[in-house]
Amino acid sequence: MESEDDMHDANDVESLDDDFYSGGTDDAPLDYYSDYDDDADDYFEDADRIESRRPEQNFTILKESDIQQRQEEDITRVATVLSISRVLASILLRHYNWSVSRVHDAWFADEDRVRNAVGLLEKPIVQHDNTGELTCGICFENYPRARIEMASCGHPYCITCWEGYISTSINDGPGCLMLRCPDPSCGAAVGQDMINLLTSDEDRQKYTRYLLRSYIEDNKKSKWCPAPGCEYAVTFDAGSGGNYDVSCLCSYSFCWNCTEEAHRPVDCGTVAKWIMKNSAESENMNWILANSKPCPKCKRPIEKNQGCMHMTCTPPCKYEFCWLCLGVWSDHGERTGGFYACNRYETAKQEGVYDDTERRREMAKNSLERYTHYYERWASNQSSRQKALADLQQMQNVHIEKLSDIQCQPESQLKFITEAWLQIVECRRVLKWTYAYGFYLQEHEHAKKQFFEYLQGEAESGLERLHQCAEKELQPFLCADDPSREFNDFRTKLAGLTSVTRNYFENLVRALENGLCDVDSNGASLSRATSSKSAAGSSKGRSGRVKGTFRTSMSSRMNDDSHWCCEHCTYANVKSATTCQMCYQRR
Amino acid sequence: MQASRARLFKEYKEVQREKAVDPDIQLVCDESNIFKWTALVKGPSETPYEGGVFQLAFSVPEQYPLQPPQVRFLTKIFHPNVHFKTGEICLDILKNAWSPAWTLQSVCRAIIALMAHPEPDSPLNCDSGNLLRSGDVRGYQSMARMYTRLAAMSKKG
Ligand SMILES: [Zn+2]
Ligand SMILES: [Zn+2]
Ligand SMILES: [Zn+2]
Ligand SMILES: [Zn+2]
Ligand SMILES: [Zn+2]
Ligand SMILES: [Zn+2]
Ligand SMILES: [Zn+2]
Repeated sequence: MESEDDMHDANDVESLDDDFYSGGTDDAPLDYYSDYDDDADDYFEDADRIESRRPEQNFTILKESDIQQRQEEDITRVATVLSISRVLASILLRHYNWSVSRVHDAWFADEDRVRNAVGLLEKPIVQHDNTGELTCGICFENYPRARIEMASCGHPYCITCWEGYISTSINDGPGCLMLRCPDPSCGAAVGQDMINLLTSDEDRQKYTRYLLRSYIEDNKKSKWCPAPGCEYAVTFDAGSGGNYDVSCLCSYSFCWNCTEEAHRPVDCGTVAKWIMKNSAESENMNWILANSKPCPKCKRPIEKNQGCMHMTCTPPCKYEFCWLCLGVWSDHGERTGGFYACNRYETAKQEGVYDDTERRREMAKNSLERYTHYYERWASNQSSRQKALADLQQMQNVHIEKLSDIQCQPESQLKFITEAWLQIVECRRVLKWTYAYGFYLQEHEHAKKQFFEYLQGEAESGLERLHQCAEKELQPFLCADDPSREFNDFRTKLAGLTSVTRNYFENLVRALENGLCDVDSNGASLSRATSSKSAAGSSKGRSGRVKGTFRTSMSSRMNDDSHWCCEHCTYANVKSATTCQMCYQRR
Repeated sequence: MQASRARLFKEYKEVQREKAVDPDIQLVCDESNIFKWTALVKGPSETPYEGGVFQLAFSVPEQYPLQPPQVRFLTKIFHPNVHFKTGEICLDILKNAWSPAWTLQSVCRAIIALMAHPEPDSPLNCDSGNLLRSGDVRGYQSMARMYTRLAAMSKKG
């Protein structure tokens, strides 16, 4: 209903002066909106005036060449400062997770200790005179000196055995970056110079790859973009506020903190809970029973192929954990009741299967309905978003060029269409997460809940309006034979809708991130704000603006004469009710 | 295949020569298959396994020595790091701490060392591990000694 009205109002805007928008200032849509519909009007108008607090970008996207360059620079820096070879510098950096400052600190605090821990020997352990044959410590054959290689320790192995040793290690995974002399009592590091000398081209490439990956994966300040197929990395400068959103050059946005898809306004904890919830509710519980579990630390799947519950992840992670409870192994002492407790829990669960299923069924019945409501909406926004992404691609790859020809407009002037689609994609993302937000809103916070749903409803219809315009109203111009005179009106409308929707969503995100904290504190004053116009107009202070935003939008709902607002809990009751339906206080 | 066979043959010859050197270990190669070995190891003294002789079965992979051999106890043993039913052994050098410089002989030595120094924190035998972890050393020792007597000592003695 409402959105139909809005469509109508939006169409009115087409009569606005074109020049007004071609100026392209950010303020333009503000006035645009004051001629919008009365209901959402004040909310948007007021929201618009809050300058977007766009924080400085606190991340950098790295291409492969950037990564290589940074890695080289770090290695050179360490080699220069410590006066050691680049090979040794590289080994050191790998051990200290590519932190140049940590290498420096450790080295200058106690060089000998560092050398020992990392396996950089100053003198060989075993000395050989250069004559005669040496026995390889792996195949036990005798070889002339020329067929023998050794690390800095001097333990002799023949070239064939070295090749097998190095190749096995490289094919076992990134643990090869920490390769040591095969002698069990010796910790001498095997550096990249030996690797290059004793391995095939293919393995050498793998090794180089691991080295590059390690620079991103073992470094606390960088991560790979999690988008499938994307090869960019991100470095993040923490400590600049709580905004973890990162957007990659591949257009994927994700949360630096939890590496899930960007999820503002919902926090990482809620996202994790929600994702867990989804997988728990889906019948796909089988993965728990399957033979592979993700390493609790690095998430690589670890297969259990031995009876031992003591699991050790593959190098370089080497995380030791308990197969039963996925807890860290070192915690399996008296404190947690020991290993036996995990075992007992498993046994008890098996014996109590019947009770457990019954209880679960009961719980499921109660919660499933509510969950399904939120999940369906979450999922449908998700698929809308996927669809919008595909449409955006199609627009960029095909339609823009076509449209440019038909309407005789340079492509640069059609950017407003791409921008509209980018906005739609972003809004679908936000909207999607508001359903997870809603699911976890406390049941007893009636006013908050009601207000949240109101904002969400407005967001849904606002976005629907934009989506409609970008999708349906564009069509005639794409099918036309000649330039259409109405095209400029279309531009005005779509650009306006994009801007208005962007502002609405930015404010929505901020409001939800603040936990809708203004609702409670201003509950009492809501009913007094009878005129939305005056309330919005009079709030000039920054904090006042936000509050005014809520007050006016809430009161605009009150103004429809069919509701009254409870002074105690702010619930909007129907006119006919004499006591508040939420808190049972008299009107 | 060829490399592993050559290496095992070296070890075979070494074992023949060293027999007298390490009286606690007797490594025997299967007569028809050089990739199958058994070993008899003596329970270390001053442990509940003292006086027992324990049989180990080795199954050597073709990638040996780049890959570790599989070893298990054939003789029943009550030990935190040995599976009571299967004889499977939880020992780091048989898993990710393997190095091709280890030999079957040195693996036997490592297993003897493990018998003397159990690691109750990575138990394959929970009962045994928990006795030790709860500080009930006597309980563990008497159980271990009982099984040594039952399974690892010749019936005559
Ligand atoms: Zn060799
Ligand atoms: Zn060495
Ligand atoms: Zn990316
Ligand atoms: Zn997150
Ligand atoms: Zn791991
Ligand atoms: Zn556990
Ligand atoms: Zn009330």
